[in-house]
Amino acid sequence: MPDGRLERILRGFGDVRGREARAALSLSAFFFLITFTFYIIKPVKESFLIGTAPTWWPFAELATALLIGFVVALNARLLDRLPRRTYLTASLLFFIASLLAFWFVFDVHQRSLVTTPVADVSGIFFFLWAQITILNSWQVLVIVFCFWADIFIALSVTQFWIAVNDIFDPHQAKRLVGLFVAGGLFGGIAGSGAAALVTFARVLHAEDLLLVCPVLLVLALVVINVVYAEQRKIDTAVGDERIARGFKVGYLESFRAVRRDRYLRLLAAMLASSMVAGSLINYQFKTVVKSFVTNDQQRTAAIAVFFLIILAVSTVFHLLTTGRVLRTYGIRWAILVAPAFLLLGSAAVFLIPAGAMLAWACFVRGSDKSFDNTLSQSVRELLYIPVSADVKYRAKLFIDMFVSKFATGLGAALFLLLYYTRMFGYRADQPLAVVREIGLVVLVFLALWLVLTRLVYREYPAVLKKDLGRLWVPGQDVVDEHIDERLVREVFEAIQSRERSTTLYYMNLFNLVRSNNLTPELKELLGIKRDEIKARAMDALFDVGGGAFFPGLDEAITDTEFQKEIDFIFLLPSYQKIMDDRLGGIVASPSEVDRIEAANSICRMTPSPSTMEALTRLLQDPSPDVVLYALNSASVHRRREHLPLIVRQLANPPTAAEAQTALAAYGPDVLGFIAPILRSADEPLEIRRAIPDVLARIGTQKAADILVAELARRLDDMEQPLVDALYKLRAARPEVRFRAKDLRPELLHLIVKACDLVTDPPGPPDAGKAQLDIRIRRVFDLLTLLYPREEIVNDYQNILQGTAKSVDYSLEHLDNLLDREVKELLFPLIEDLPAGERCLRLKKALRLK
Amino acid sequence: MIIKTREIDNVVVFDVEGEIRRTDTAQETLHSLVEAQLDRGRRNVLLNLGGVEFIDSFGVGQILASYISTQNLGGRLKLCKISHKLLLIFQITMLTKVLDIHEDCDRALESFGKA
Repeated sequence: MPDGRLERILRGFGDVRGREARAALSLSAFFFLITFTFYIIKPVKESFLIGTAPTWWPFAELATALLIGFVVALNARLLDRLPRRTYLTASLLFFIASLLAFWFVFDVHQRSLVTTPVADVSGIFFFLWAQITILNSWQVLVIVFCFWADIFIALSVTQFWIAVNDIFDPHQAKRLVGLFVAGGLFGGIAGSGAAALVTFARVLHAEDLLLVCPVLLVLALVVINVVYAEQRKIDTAVGDERIARGFKVGYLESFRAVRRDRYLRLLAAMLASSMVAGSLINYQFKTVVKSFVTNDQQRTAAIAVFFLIILAVSTVFHLLTTGRVLRTYGIRWAILVAPAFLLLGSAAVFLIPAGAMLAWACFVRGSDKSFDNTLSQSVRELLYIPVSADVKYRAKLFIDMFVSKFATGLGAALFLLLYYTRMFGYRADQPLAVVREIGLVVLVFLALWLVLTRLVYREYPAVLKKDLGRLWVPGQDVVDEHIDERLVREVFEAIQSRERSTTLYYMNLFNLVRSNNLTPELKELLGIKRDEIKARAMDALFDVGGGAFFPGLDEAITDTEFQKEIDFIFLLPSYQKIMDDRLGGIVASPSEVDRIEAANSICRMTPSPSTMEALTRLLQDPSPDVVLYALNSASVHRRREHLPLIVRQLANPPTAAEAQTALAAYGPDVLGFIAPILRSADEPLEIRRAIPDVLARIGTQKAADILVAELARRLDDMEQPLVDALYKLRAARPEVRFRAKDLRPELLHLIVKACDLVTDPPGPPDAGKAQLDIRIRRVFDLLTLLYPREEIVNDYQNILQGTAKSVDYSLEHLDNLLDREVKELLFPLIEDLPAGERCLRLKKALRLK
Repeated sequence: MIIKTREIDNVVVFDVEGEIRRTDTAQETLHSLVEAQLDRGRRNVLLNLGGVEFIDSFGVGQILASYISTQNLGGRLKLCKISHKLLLIFQITMLTKVLDIHEDCDRALESFGKA
């Protein structure tokens, strides 16, 4: 069947895409066959066990709890030593052989004789011995069979999920989990349906059903080998090593892996509490069934029907609800559903009459099994996914096999304790009272389960984030880390000014020396000699001109002393007066160099009216170089009357950056002046587009509020500088707060605009993609204002340029971080989807919005 | 200043001639030209400064702004054929720690493919 058609058919069960359809279907079929087998075995097991005395019931689970460790150790060793396919094949062959052996045992018991033909006389003695042993040790054999069945299902399910993790990435697995669980459910329905049918119709005895199971397991064997063989071919073709190269897994290592990791310990504890509660609920169910259904064959049939109904309900629930709950509410709420529901259901035992007991028991046990088959199982597997692969295999082994069985055993031990301390053996006529007493313990463990779900979920995002790091450092951070940008610009200005004017050059040198950041190499480059600089300052004072006034001064003067001396000179009233008097003439000078020198000098002068008037004129100078120095001086004096002139320079590309710096130097006091300009449609667009960066540099709460208010006006021409400024402000000032109620509408508006580019492309595909990338970038920039910045930046970078795995992790992390409305619109834009599919999903999301 | 743009493989090359100075700037600055290419989805930018004799503080600002814009998008900006005098100034001001500078433009183009 072509992949496209297969994909469409499978879409009803999960979000299946492209080439993964075949592997997904095969794995689902594998799971189907496993559960088909198990649900034939299960009613046989349950019925045989209930047929024994209640004191034997816990021993089945206790045997599992005590012996599971050895099984886990052996399994771990096999996983460690064998290639995956060999391991899976060997396991299945073992189960097939043991099923045949158990059928023989049950056949002997049921007939109370051996009918198997023998070819050799010595064989007769063996079979006689076997018959006697079987008949005399029936309860023990039932316990052994129960233990074997538990191992079978635990190992098989674990192996299935290991295969899923081998073949698929985390986000793929999450999308496909619905299909897998559906496969399992249909298998369970088929198994319990077959068991119910043949036992009700008395076509076969219960134990003869076991002969069907080996056939199913052989099919499962074939399927899993095909899946691995095909995946190996795909990996070789694309150069991807997706199938794990047999991680070394020892039992102790498994234990240590869990012990070392808080998240895994919490997962183990959560699973354990759910299993203890489930085990006790099962004992409540058994107690009620034993008191209501006494005939063996009827009991087997009833249990088969019970499981059939449960599985049918689970399937419907799963198809309609599991995926929807996960997509809509995420793991955060999905993880709570089962314990909360069971808590309410279990508490109801204290309110029901005796006549309703069977219905109640079926309801609670049925709910427990239904959740276990659907939502809880899906959530549990998803909680494992972000754990790194090598730890995951070890941990899963320990938790799924040892911890779960140990917890079930603990439930069995608690039941035994209650049985003997509360004398259940003498109260067989009081099933409701017995069930209620067990119910008290159930409620304790359900409450514990609820608490642990919260703790686990609190750790989940941190586990996801571990694998997400920055792929690149933002440009401004790189610049800030390595250079002093202002100093670099001043060095270049100083070098340039050397060609223009000696005075200007030394003025610039003085500024550089004052900044105290000059390396020896820079000083050498600039030819700084203190004596000469000092001399030039005196030169300016006395207007001498020509060579150094004080040649060859050799005093050892420290930089700070030197600065003080120069400051002293410039602050001399006589110097100030001379400069003040001369400024008026210099400002009108036709020489650009004179005007530059004047503009530069003003920063060191006291702000007398004439000096400020001179600065006003220099700020309007036709030469950008003059304006540059005038802006610098304006930023020192910070006079209100200069603001309109500085703002005007924002429209002039050669001086715009310096104008922004000058405005930012005014600090928060300038906000009242520039905010109306930002809002006014009468002002030139270049000026308005330059103001957001000034606001970002000022970085106060009020500046942030102004930016957000302007963003809310939704003017297309202003969108880019506003979003850039908000992003910059958030990076520089984490203490500034942004209100979700103000920003969310703008965030959604931006996302919708991005969606419109997809659903209604304005031009050729290439241009459309570039525009879409820009829009998505702006969306993520805004997301940093509402969510943890570092996480959003990491997610964005990994989605843009990460590996397939890190893209998946980023999507999963965002899935757990963002709210539903944002996700529904954003995810179709950032997930790797075919164009048609993307468009469809966006149209649907936009319609719903 | 004259800036010509061309594309080689997936690298946008800006051939700059003249002086990158404040007084010699049209409405379209070097940074605005680089940003226009980034908006078109280009992520690899090479500034060929073989024809540049002089850069003032404005020019340095334009180069740094172009670098920041490119880097923020996960792209790469490199320089090539910078004069010895300018290279010395770049080294002393530590700009070489930020900017990837190549002597030869062909090698610079190759380096985009290797990373």
